[in-house]
Amino acid sequence: MNRLKEFARRLLYLGRRKNLDSVLDQEVQFHIETRADELQQAGLARGQAMAQARREFGRQSAMREDSRVAWQIKWLEDLSSDLRYAFRALRRSPGFALAAIFSLALGIGANTTIFSLTMEFLFSVPSARQPERLASIQLAGNSHSQMPIYRFVRDTHSFDGLAGSFEEHQVNWRHGEDTSQLGVYWVTDNYFDVVGVPVAMGRPIHAGDRNVAVLNYNFWQSQLAGDPDVVGRTMILDGQPHTVIGVLPRDHRTLLGFGFAPALYLPVHDDKAYVAFVARLPEGMNRPAAFARLKVIGQELDRNFPNRDFHWTEDIRVDAVAGLDRLKSLNMIPFTAFFGVLMVVVGLVLMIACGNVASLLLARASSRRQELGIRLAIGAGRGRLVRQLLAESLLLAVLGTASGLLLDFWLTSLISRVQLPLPMPFQLHIAPDWRLLAYSAAVAMASALFCGLFPALKATRSDLNAALKRQELQSSRRLWNMRNALVAGQLAISTLLLTAGLLFLENLSRSTSMNPGFDVDHTVWARMRLVPAKYPTNEKTQALVNTALDALRALPGVEAASIAHVVPLNDQQTNGTDVRIDGGQAVHVQFKSNNVGPDYFRAMAIPILDGRGFNAGDRTGSPAVAILNENFARLLFNKDSPVGHTLKFPWTETVSIVGVAKNSKYFTLGEENALAMYWPFAQGPGTESLNFMLRAPEFSPDLVKAINRTLGGLDPSAAIEIKPMRDALVLALLPSRAGAAILGSMGGLGLLLASIGLYGVLAFTISRRIREIGLRMALGASPRTVLWMVFRDSFLLVTVGISLGLGIAMAATQPLAMFLVPGLSPTDPLTFLVVIALLGAVAVAATIGPALRALHVDPMIALRYE
Amino acid sequence: MPTFNSPELLPGTLYLLVLRTLARGPLHGYAIARRIKEHSAEALQIEDGSLYPALNRMLVKGWLAAEWGISENNRKARFYRLTPLGRKQLEAEAKEFDKLIQAIQLVMKTV
Repeated sequence: MNRLKEFARRLLYLGRRKNLDSVLDQEVQFHIETRADELQQAGLARGQAMAQARREFGRQSAMREDSRVAWQIKWLEDLSSDLRYAFRALRRSPGFALAAIFSLALGIGANTTIFSLTMEFLFSVPSARQPERLASIQLAGNSHSQMPIYRFVRDTHSFDGLAGSFEEHQVNWRHGEDTSQLGVYWVTDNYFDVVGVPVAMGRPIHAGDRNVAVLNYNFWQSQLAGDPDVVGRTMILDGQPHTVIGVLPRDHRTLLGFGFAPALYLPVHDDKAYVAFVARLPEGMNRPAAFARLKVIGQELDRNFPNRDFHWTEDIRVDAVAGLDRLKSLNMIPFTAFFGVLMVVVGLVLMIACGNVASLLLARASSRRQELGIRLAIGAGRGRLVRQLLAESLLLAVLGTASGLLLDFWLTSLISRVQLPLPMPFQLHIAPDWRLLAYSAAVAMASALFCGLFPALKATRSDLNAALKRQELQSSRRLWNMRNALVAGQLAISTLLLTAGLLFLENLSRSTSMNPGFDVDHTVWARMRLVPAKYPTNEKTQALVNTALDALRALPGVEAASIAHVVPLNDQQTNGTDVRIDGGQAVHVQFKSNNVGPDYFRAMAIPILDGRGFNAGDRTGSPAVAILNENFARLLFNKDSPVGHTLKFPWTETVSIVGVAKNSKYFTLGEENALAMYWPFAQGPGTESLNFMLRAPEFSPDLVKAINRTLGGLDPSAAIEIKPMRDALVLALLPSRAGAAILGSMGGLGLLLASIGLYGVLAFTISRRIREIGLRMALGASPRTVLWMVFRDSFLLVTVGISLGLGIAMAATQPLAMFLVPGLSPTDPLTFLVVIALLGAVAVAATIGPALRALHVDPMIALRYE
Repeated sequence: MPTFNSPELLPGTLYLLVLRTLARGPLHGYAIARRIKEHSAEALQIEDGSLYPALNRMLVKGWLAAEWGISENNRKARFYRLTPLGRKQLEAEAKEFDKLIQAIQLVMKTV
């Protein structure tokens, strides 16, 4: 504490240095005059008295220096003088400074941007009061449980509140003549109070609220034009008037995280609804204690709500809602791994940037050998010189980091504004925070040390005599010095980056052109969401579906129309269950399943290889039928035809297999050998979300209008959305697109930086060898010989760099296979050939400038140095 | 570090002497030097060149505070006074000093 105050007093002094001198002057003046007064009283004359007093006081300069030192903060003043010196030095060579700062800004900008993105995706903290005391709870391994269970657990009062939410609810919003579908966070009426979600305007939902809505900020801004009087306004949702009671802050983050941002929060009142539990743990209760408490509650649940499939005490989970614990509990390894790869990649880009700065500093240091030699000769300590050179790289790093941060702010605001065309509501809030600042400060420090230490040590190690004599003719023959090693290293790293980037570009092009097994170019997806309350029975829904299909088939330009529960590559339904073939032994199988209407296979252009597709006769009440895909058929029946055989699942009657459909992609483009089974739509469960799949040779605005009119005419309260199947592949292509965009641009960035480095080193080497070249030319060397000299150096560097990089890339890209489409190998020889060609071309381009300069060396001028 | 005229002072004792002198009330630099000289019966004389750096070091440490005033001979002078922290320091150093002297005396008597 005292030390801190002492430091503060010293800091204060820094601003009043002049003041101390005048204080000392006055004090000394007073001291001498008072002494002179005394001497005068003892009988001396005034002049003599003053002279004697001065003599007695002694030398003032040492006293002043000692007093000043008392107040100084030595390291700070040294640092500031070093920085001033460094600043002047950088101003004298602006080209060097700009190249170094530019390199660092790109490297650090890329780094901090990916860091911000990673932090937001993986470690963002939800908008909640004391989120560390919140825990997400699963009973019997179920992510969601029904409302009566929720109420039972809540009413045990085991926690400081238990709330429930269902994040994928949808409602139809009727505004004017239009009906659109909105994503809803369906929450129990105590959710806002238990979780402690702040609202920006109005009030949160409280216990007992019915038919109220809290709006997401973006929805309020984009759909309601930011209406300042929105609180109190009425919205018609699923045919019911709802009152808007509040608006969330702009940076609201849902508990679910990952950028998930539905338009509305609505209170849930449906007893059939399933909700995920979140508990506020009482002060002092940790997660294991909560687990023990839930075990007891589970026993009570087993008595009150017995279930024949499971016990409530099984598989209880209590997980954190944020941070690393949460990622672990969600088992998001591939997702986390992707960000890990990104961090490594941008780290490599930063290494290349640092390599540039280091080689620039090395070049500078060796052109300053004379100056440093003189300073060493007149007695400057080596430590002091090293510190001064380090100050220069520190200044560069700070300036580079500052520019990099500006770049980061620009990039992240760009990313935040990007509206990804995803089927779910999504919004990222990337804002600079202390973690980013700490991270970039650490990066700046590390890069300053990395870039500065070697050049500084090397520069000050130089032999005094050699430096002073300005002799450097010999050093050029030694090719493998630090600078060249750096450039070869940079080239190796950018080879690695380019390989990864090209792999992902190749991956994108393959997945875009990949045939998913159905026709995406002539298929239209029309989604119609019904207001559930208007369709209480499945019969009513089926009647609407039949009418709609008949009307759609009658439209001009529509060749076939059908309906599906699951739209391929957008959603999935997976079953893991036992099955008996023809009443035989039970086999365990896991497969994708879908309920589809008549004509589905014609509408999607999926060939039926055996038997038949579904027809109008496969309806409720008629015998249960199913169609397998090739993979499933082969697994269950080998090469025999499955048509005519039967399957029996635990929850069904005996199902006859009527056909075999060709394999296609179901949920991801990367999946291989997936098993799949189709059931008739009419024999399936009811749904409020109807996905009509139409076969239309041409997708036109007229067709969209016609479909809209047809479906809207059947039920104006339904929300309708129509798009070509090609657009609906966005979700499936997103990983490849993101990978290609990020890794491709990082590869390009690495290449740019490495080529700057190569150019810089070659240019510097030429400038050092001007005398040698001049001498050779004077002795009759042809321009060809000179050119060869330059290109040989470049060729050597590039060859060593690329072969090193290819070696690393062979090994390092192996783990990337998990992100690539099947059939694309990370060691694709074509990729490597392209990388070699690209780097070779860039190397030649970077060599041309220095080579021309070598050709234009005038022997007369060059030799005048001698 | 401060240097002293005869007899040689133990290191650090200059602080103790200044603190002790100021314990009775604020004084300016010249008066501090004269007091120490008088009270030691002229045995201890502080070099003026080391007094002022020492005062400044004690200001940095927060043991002293300084302000401008008018001296007895009607001149503008800088007066130093003890801060509460300085008073604590004085107690601590005085105790340490006593211990040291006793220890030395013990050695002198017994050996």
